[in-house]
Amino acid sequence: MLKPITEEKRGVPEPAAGVRTKPNRLPQWPLHLMILPALLLIIVYSYGPMLGSVIAFQDFNPARGIFHSPFQGLENFRYVMALPDSMQVVWNTLIIAVMKLVVGLIVPIAVSLLLNEVRKEFFKRGVQTLIYLPHFLSWVILGGILIDILSPSNGIVNDVLKLFGVDPIYFLGSNEWFRYVLVISDVWKEFGFNTIVYLAALTSINPALYEAAVIDGAGKWKQTLNVTLPGMAPIIILTATLALGQVLNAGFDQVFNLYSPQVYETGDIIDTFVYRIGMVDAQYGVATAVGLFKSAVSLTLLSVSYFLAYRLANYRIF
Amino acid sequence: MIERNTVGRRLFIGSNYTFLTILSVLCILPLVHVLSVSFSSSAAASAGYVKLWPVDFTLSSYKYVLMKKEFFRSILVTLERVAIGLSVNMALTILVAYPLSKEVNKFRARTAYAWIFVFTMLFNGGLIPLYMTVKYTGVLDSIWALVLPGALPIFNMILLLNFFRGLPKELEEAAFMDGAGHWTTLWKMYVPLSLPALATITLFATVGHWNSWFDGLIFMNSPSHYPLQSYLQTIVIVKNFTAANLNNLKMLQEVDERTFKAAQIFLGALPILLVYPFLQRFFMKGIVLGSVKE
Amino acid sequence: MKKRAGILFASSMLLLTAVTSACSSNNENESSSSNAPESPSATATASASASSGPVDPLGKYDPPIDVSTVRILSNSVKFKGEETIDNNVWYQEYEKKLGIKLKNEWSVVGDEPGGQGEQKMNVSIASGSLPDIVPLNASQLKQLADAGKLADLTEVYEKYASPMTKQILTSSGPTALESAKFDGKLLAIPAVNSVYNGTPLLWIRTDWMKKLNLEAPKTMDDVYAIMDAFVNQDPDGNGKKDTYGIALNKDLYGFFGAVEGFFNSYHAYPRFGGTGNWIEDGSGNLAFGSIQPEVKTALGKLQELYKKGYIDREFGVKDWAKEKELIVSGKIGLFYGAMSAPIVMNEIKTTDPNADWKAFPLASADGQPAKPEVVGIALGNPQYLAVTKNAKNPEALMKLINLFFEISYGKSYSQEEHDKLGTSPTDGVERWMYSIYTGEPEKNLATHRLIKEIVAGTKSESDVSSEQMGAYRSVMKARNGEKLEPIDWALDRVFGPENSAFQVVDQYVNDNMLQPNAYTSVSTSTMLKRDATLQKLELETFSKIIMGDPLDNFDKFVDNWKKLGGDEMTKEVNEWKKSR
Repeated sequence: MLKPITEEKRGVPEPAAGVRTKPNRLPQWPLHLMILPALLLIIVYSYGPMLGSVIAFQDFNPARGIFHSPFQGLENFRYVMALPDSMQVVWNTLIIAVMKLVVGLIVPIAVSLLLNEVRKEFFKRGVQTLIYLPHFLSWVILGGILIDILSPSNGIVNDVLKLFGVDPIYFLGSNEWFRYVLVISDVWKEFGFNTIVYLAALTSINPALYEAAVIDGAGKWKQTLNVTLPGMAPIIILTATLALGQVLNAGFDQVFNLYSPQVYETGDIIDTFVYRIGMVDAQYGVATAVGLFKSAVSLTLLSVSYFLAYRLANYRIF
Repeated sequence: MIERNTVGRRLFIGSNYTFLTILSVLCILPLVHVLSVSFSSSAAASAGYVKLWPVDFTLSSYKYVLMKKEFFRSILVTLERVAIGLSVNMALTILVAYPLSKEVNKFRARTAYAWIFVFTMLFNGGLIPLYMTVKYTGVLDSIWALVLPGALPIFNMILLLNFFRGLPKELEEAAFMDGAGHWTTLWKMYVPLSLPALATITLFATVGHWNSWFDGLIFMNSPSHYPLQSYLQTIVIVKNFTAANLNNLKMLQEVDERTFKAAQIFLGALPILLVYPFLQRFFMKGIVLGSVKE
Repeated sequence: MKKRAGILFASSMLLLTAVTSACSSNNENESSSSNAPESPSATATASASASSGPVDPLGKYDPPIDVSTVRILSNSVKFKGEETIDNNVWYQEYEKKLGIKLKNEWSVVGDEPGGQGEQKMNVSIASGSLPDIVPLNASQLKQLADAGKLADLTEVYEKYASPMTKQILTSSGPTALESAKFDGKLLAIPAVNSVYNGTPLLWIRTDWMKKLNLEAPKTMDDVYAIMDAFVNQDPDGNGKKDTYGIALNKDLYGFFGAVEGFFNSYHAYPRFGGTGNWIEDGSGNLAFGSIQPEVKTALGKLQELYKKGYIDREFGVKDWAKEKELIVSGKIGLFYGAMSAPIVMNEIKTTDPNADWKAFPLASADGQPAKPEVVGIALGNPQYLAVTKNAKNPEALMKLINLFFEISYGKSYSQEEHDKLGTSPTDGVERWMYSIYTGEPEKNLATHRLIKEIVAGTKSESDVSSEQMGAYRSVMKARNGEKLEPIDWALDRVFGPENSAFQVVDQYVNDNMLQPNAYTSVSTSTMLKRDATLQKLELETFSKIIMGDPLDNFDKFVDNWKKLGGDEMTKEVNEWKKSR
C-alpha cells in the first residue's frame, strides 16, 4: 500500500515562488480568522488548566495551592507503580476497553447498515428512536436490573439457558464472565446512540454510485461491500481512531455499579482504583499523575494510527 | 437505490425486520421496567415486585419533585444553558471545521491546528486548575461557566470536518470561480449541504448540555442557579442511615430512593428524548447529494 | 402541645441537667420546666448581667460586623416562601442578637462524605480564596493546618465559649476537641455527633420466632438454631424452602446486613463500616482489628453458613439496598445492623403487615459477653468549623456556636421564638438546618430516654421538642394500639421504651460495654497511601473465604497486610498513641 508519491503532491503541484497560478487560490487569512475565537477559548480553558497538571509532580496540598506545593519529581508515579494492584488494574482496563472498542464499533455499524436496508420509513425511525433510549439510563439503575436478569437462581437469562440445558451461570460473580457482562451491557446501552453517526454518514454517499454499481450488475451484498462501506470508511476510521484515545477508560460508572470484591481480580479498573484511593483522602497529585499517564498512552496510540493512516493510505484522519 | 426482488432478498428483508424488532424490544423493556418502578409504591419497588407494570400505582415520586419551585427554576436555567451553549457550540464547530476540512495545500496550518484541538481531547488539567481558570476569567457563577470551557466540542468538530471533506470539490471550485469568498461558500454551500451531519452534532451538543450536571454543582455558587440535572442530583435522596440524621422522617415516608431515581430519569430526560425524533427528518438519505449530483 | 424544649438534645438527661445548672448562673429565670415565655428584653438583661466576667459569650457587636462563610447543605434542607440560605431567620437572628452579618460566598447542596460539598470546598481551598469561617472535613482541616492558613482558636475558645458550649463539646470526652488540635493549638471547633448510633445490633423477625417457638438467643449456638429454623422450618409457611438464615451485603461492612456484629460475637473487631478499626492488644499497644485470630474463627463460621445455604448465594453482588429486597419480600429473618434498620426496611409492614422485627443484644460465642464495636469519635457533616487567618473577628465563630446551643438548650428563648428557629409546627420546615453550626451529641439516645421517662411518668409530654414529636407520637400510637403506618412501627422499634434498638444501645452504654475504635486521629501517611489496597485485599480475601476459599488464606492475608504497609501503619498508630 505504500505509495511513493502522495496523491496530494501529484494532484496539486506546488506553485512556483511568487506566481499565482490558480484563480481559486483564495487568501488564507479568513480561514485563520474563523479559527481564532475557538482557538482563544481553547487556549484559555483547555491549555491554561493543563499547566495545572504540574501537581502530578508535587506533594500537592490544596491549601498551599499549585504555586506553593513542594515538588517531588516522579514520586506520585513511583507510588502508583509500586502498588501491588497497579499491573492488574491496567491489564483489566486494557482488556475491557479493547473489547468494548471492537464490539462497540462493529455493532452500531452493522445496525446502521441493517437500518439502511429498511424501506418503511416509520419502522426505521421507530427502531432508531427506541434503540437510542438506553443511553439515557444511568448505571445505578441498570446495576439493579442486571443483578435481577442475570441472577443464577431466577434471572431470565439463566432461565433461557436452562431451556437449552445449560447450567446456570453466576455472570456477575464469576471472574470468567464478568468482563463479558461489562462489554455486552455497555454496547447494549450505547449502540443506538452511536448508530446516529453512521446513519448520518450513510446519507452522504452519492446515490449515483449505487446506480453505477447496479449497471455493473452488483447485487445488494456487493453494493454494500463496494459502495456503502467504502463510503462510510472515513467516519469508521475516524471513530475507531478517536476510540483508541479512550483505551484506558473502561467505564467508571458502569464498573463501579456492577463490581464486587469477588470480581476485583478481573473487574477492577484504573478509574475505580483511583477512586478508592481518593476515598481515603482527596489525593489530587496521585489522581493527576494517573490522568497524565492515561493521556500519554492515548496520545501515543492516536498519533501512531494517525501517521500510519497518513503514510500507508495517504489519508489524514482529521 | 435499486433492488432486485429475489427469494434470498425477501428472506433477508424478513429476517432484518424481525431482528430489528427484537433489538428494539430488548432496548425498550428495561425502560418500561424503570418507568413502572417510578409509578410504583416504595414497598413494591423495594421488595422487588415490580416487573413491567406498576404495582400499587402512585405518583408520589413525581409529585415530590414537581411540587418544588426549584424544579421549574432549574428547567429555565437549563433552557438558557442549552440555548446559549448550543449556539456557541454550533457556531464554533462550523467555523473551525470548515478551514480544517481544507487540503494542506489550500490551508497550510490546518494540520497544526487540528492537532492543537485534538490534543485537548486527550489532556486536561483536572478539576482544580479548571476551577481556577473559570474563576480568574470572571465567569464563575454565571451561565458562561457552563458554556465557555466546552465551547468547542472537539469530537463534533472532527466529525463535521470529515463530512465537509466528503462534499464534492467541484462545487466549491465553481463557487470560488463565481467570486464567492470563504464566508459565502461556507454559509451558502457547506452548511445547507451538510444538514444530516449538522443535525447529528446538534443532537450531541444538546444532549451534552442537557445531561451534564457536575459543572453546574461546582461552578455555580448557589443552588438557585443550578441547571436541571445538577438540581436533580442534589435531591436524589441519599439516605445516610449511618449518620445521626433521623430528622427527615417525613421525607422517608414520602418517597423511596429507588422509585425516585426512576422518576428522575424520566423527568430529566423526557424533553431531550423528544429532540431526536424531531431531528430525524434531517436524516433523509440522498436528498442532499441527490440534488447536486453531476 | 410542646412547651419548652431544646431544638437539639444533649447526650443524656444527665448532661442536660449539668448544662442547665451550668447556665442557671447566667439566668434569673430558673424554674425547671419554665413554661412562661420570656420576653426578648428580659433575655437581653439576662445576658448583659452575665457579662460580669471578662467577656460576654453572647455579646453584641455594635456597630455590626461582616463575617463571610460558605455553606454545605444537606439535601434534605427545605425553604419556604422568600427564605433562602442567604437570608433566613437564623441569619436575621445572628444580626439582631449578635450584631454579626453573616454572608455566604457560596452554598452547595450535598454534605455527605466525598459529596459535592467536599469537592466544592476542595477547589475553593486550592484556588486560595477562603471566607472567614470555613466548614471542613478532617483532611481539609489537616491541609489548611499544615499550610498555616487557620487562626489559632485556643484563646478564643477559652475566653468566648459559653459554659454550655464547653460542656457539650466535651460531653463525650476530650477526643473530639483533641482531634482539632495541631501542635497544641486548637484550630477548629468539631461538630460533635453520635458515637452510639452505629452500634451493631442483632435484628430478628419475631413473628417467625413466635411461630416456630424460638427463644431470644443467649449464645451463638442459639443464633445458629434460629437461622437453621428460618431456613428449614418454612417460617413463611408457603411450603417452599425459599428462605435464608442471614442477610449479608457485598461490601461486608456497613449498617445493614453487615458483618461487624457477627464478628463482635467472636470478640473480633474488624473494620467498622469500611474504616480501619484499632484495638488495645493487651500489652498497651494498638493493633489492627481485621488481622486478629478471632476474625479467622468468625470467618470460618460464615463459610460454614454459606456452605449450608444459610446465606443468599448471590449476596456477593448485592449492596445493602439490593439485599434489602429479600428482607422486604419476606425471605430473610435475621441480620446484623445499626439502630436505623426498621426505618430502612419499614416497607416490610406494607408487604406483610404481620411481620415484626426486634433488636437483640449480640450473643456471645463463649461465656464472655460480646462488646459491639463503635467509632472512636463521631463528627457531623461538615465535621469542623474553622476560622481563616485573615479573619478580623475569629471570636465571632464562638459566638455563633454559643448562640446555637443557647437556642437549643438554653432558657432565654421563648416557645414562640423556638418554633420559629426550630422545626416549625405549622409548616414543618426544619429551620434549625439554616444554622451554621449543628452539633447534636447523642440526640437519638436522648429521645429514647425521654420517651421512657414519659412512659414511666417522671417526665411529661411538655418536654418533647418539635423535632422529637414525630418519634414520640409514633411510639404513643403503638402503645395505645392505634392503627400504625409502617413508619410508626419503625420509629417504635427504634425509639420505643421497650423492644427497641435504643433500649439495647442504652443498656450497652450504661454497662460501658462498647468497644470504640482506639485510634481517633486523621489518617496517617501510610493509611493515605496503602489503605485502599489493603481494604481491597481484605474484602477480596474475606468474601472469597466465605464463598468457599480455604480458610487458611486468612493467614496469607495477614502476612500480606503486614508487608504491604500494615506494619508501618501499626507503628504510626502506636507513635500517635504514645504522643498523647
